[in-house]
Amino acid sequence: MTPARLAGAAALAVAAAVLPEVAGPFWMGLVTQMLVFGVLALSVDLLLGHAGLFSICHGSFFAVAAYTTALLEVRYAVATAMAAPAGLLAGTLLGLVFGLAVRTRGVYFILITIAFGYVVWGVAHRWSSFTGGDNGVTNVPFPAVAGVRIDSHTEYYYLVLVAVALVALGYGRVIRSPFGLALRGIKGSESRMRTLGYDSNRHLYAAFVLSAALASLAGVLYVYYNRFVNPVAASFPVSVEAALMAIIGGTGTILGPFIGSIIILGLRNWVSSFFELYAAIMGLVFIVAVLWVPEGLVGLAARVRGRRAPAGPGSATG
Amino acid sequence: MATGALLQAINGTSLAALLFLVASGFTVTFGLMRVVNMAYGAYYLLGGYVGLSIAQASGSFALAVVGGGAAVVVFGFLVDRFLIRHTGENHLAQVLLTVGVAFVVGDVALKIWGGDSLKVPVPLFLRGAMELPGGLVYPTFRFVLILFGVAVAGVLWVLYTRTQIGAVVRAGVDDREQVAATGIDVDRLFAMVSALASFMAGMAGVVGGAFLTLYPGAEWEILIVALVVVIVGGLGSLGGAMIGALVVGLLDAYGRWLLPEFSYFVLFGPMAVLLLFRPRGIAGKDA
Repeated sequence: MTPARLAGAAALAVAAAVLPEVAGPFWMGLVTQMLVFGVLALSVDLLLGHAGLFSICHGSFFAVAAYTTALLEVRYAVATAMAAPAGLLAGTLLGLVFGLAVRTRGVYFILITIAFGYVVWGVAHRWSSFTGGDNGVTNVPFPAVAGVRIDSHTEYYYLVLVAVALVALGYGRVIRSPFGLALRGIKGSESRMRTLGYDSNRHLYAAFVLSAALASLAGVLYVYYNRFVNPVAASFPVSVEAALMAIIGGTGTILGPFIGSIIILGLRNWVSSFFELYAAIMGLVFIVAVLWVPEGLVGLAARVRGRRAPAGPGSATG
Repeated sequence: MATGALLQAINGTSLAALLFLVASGFTVTFGLMRVVNMAYGAYYLLGGYVGLSIAQASGSFALAVVGGGAAVVVFGFLVDRFLIRHTGENHLAQVLLTVGVAFVVGDVALKIWGGDSLKVPVPLFLRGAMELPGGLVYPTFRFVLILFGVAVAGVLWVLYTRTQIGAVVRAGVDDREQVAATGIDVDRLFAMVSALASFMAGMAGVVGGAFLTLYPGAEWEILIVALVVVIVGGLGSLGGAMIGALVVGLLDAYGRWLLPEFSYFVLFGPMAVLLLFRPRGIAGKDA
């Protein structure tokens, strides 16, 4: 890490730590939500930005994890220490199944993940005796582990913040590992990687499952924040918006998906406060993002910077 | 039980007729233009709502079907011309862009037509039930829909396999550049096929609105099921869309009947298994 980036990261950490001192409960709730959906967007981007696969079913892992944790906590009074890992596990197991989609590429992969995602939504929606139907599962308590109890949104914010920091560190290690570089290679030229002896399907499957695990983590973080979960969490718009967040922020980066999450959720909160047709506005954001900012804001910033000061030797590319 | 099974077979076939109308447009425009248009569900809903308003104003169902289809032709042309054209062959961009279009259409439609389930009124002679041979009593409209679907599929099939336009389209699916090189105006061909696909989606909305009703969210439900049709049948294949629609329509009907809470599994499970053995669907070619 360069000194400038280190300073930036430190400033970000300090700002995030003191935020509850200046922001009220509404803003803390919104920021927590931005972080949680940032993790979801990051999970989508592991496939999109690093492996070149566009998945639109990550809402399912997110929702299955959230439902599992919520049902265990509420209906079976299972402690957080068990319920949260069970949620993670359930979402990841689903990833093992849906990961079969990596047998296909391109449009087929996109369409199949959409169809898979709908199964989860359909079950949450229709199997009402177990999932609570459209009402979902309500009254999820704050998490409590070994006598330590979270009992305010501010405390929960700190928990999420720590989780996000750990995720960012771990994610950074994965994408710089030989495995992460192999994924990049597959994205760049799959046939070349195969010629070099890499089993691309196996790499992509592993990436898919890892990405499902990350989406499940987002789901567990979400359900303790939101305190309830309903089929909307598994719905198509959640999955596709997570992809949009990664794209708007900038794919293939760690910061990008979080920036995208901040922009999308911030925009939605702001627009819906005065304009009824906010879903239409979100639709326009999709269109604008595709037509005018295809490389995302991080990419846009890099391009603007690059125009001002031509990249010198040693500057990172890609 | 036997009567129930037969009833579900007819239910499934009538759903298949509707699915075919939406899926065939999706699959042929993909095959020819390499465009993934996720707005077909929204086209369906838009056509249905416009048709509903026309039916309420004029009292004519036929006018509603034609008007709903025509409105979508205009809208689809604008979307093609001003938005999709800029995405080149980037499927990711196309998906996001057309999802955005669908969000806009869905929300504006919610504002105009409201959030209740609305039913397109059908003409008197199609209301009620009829007795089929064998003593089975079945809603007239859904039975006529099957005949209509078969007729449309038949016309399309003849158009596709027996006429010169169909030959050009088939050639375009296989190799677009070669077709353009023989002096055929590919842009015009695309516009024509796209208009036909839009018309069918809009028409399907009016017809579907008469028995499935129209409501916010219907655009995604119909699109997803149409996607399964396309995945099962094989992307880009008209024959595949016919087979796929029938398979999916029947699976859905029996699924809802036998396992109402897990009908999505019944629909998507076989699709997942099929993918393991034939990733490109029943009639799909390796591309």
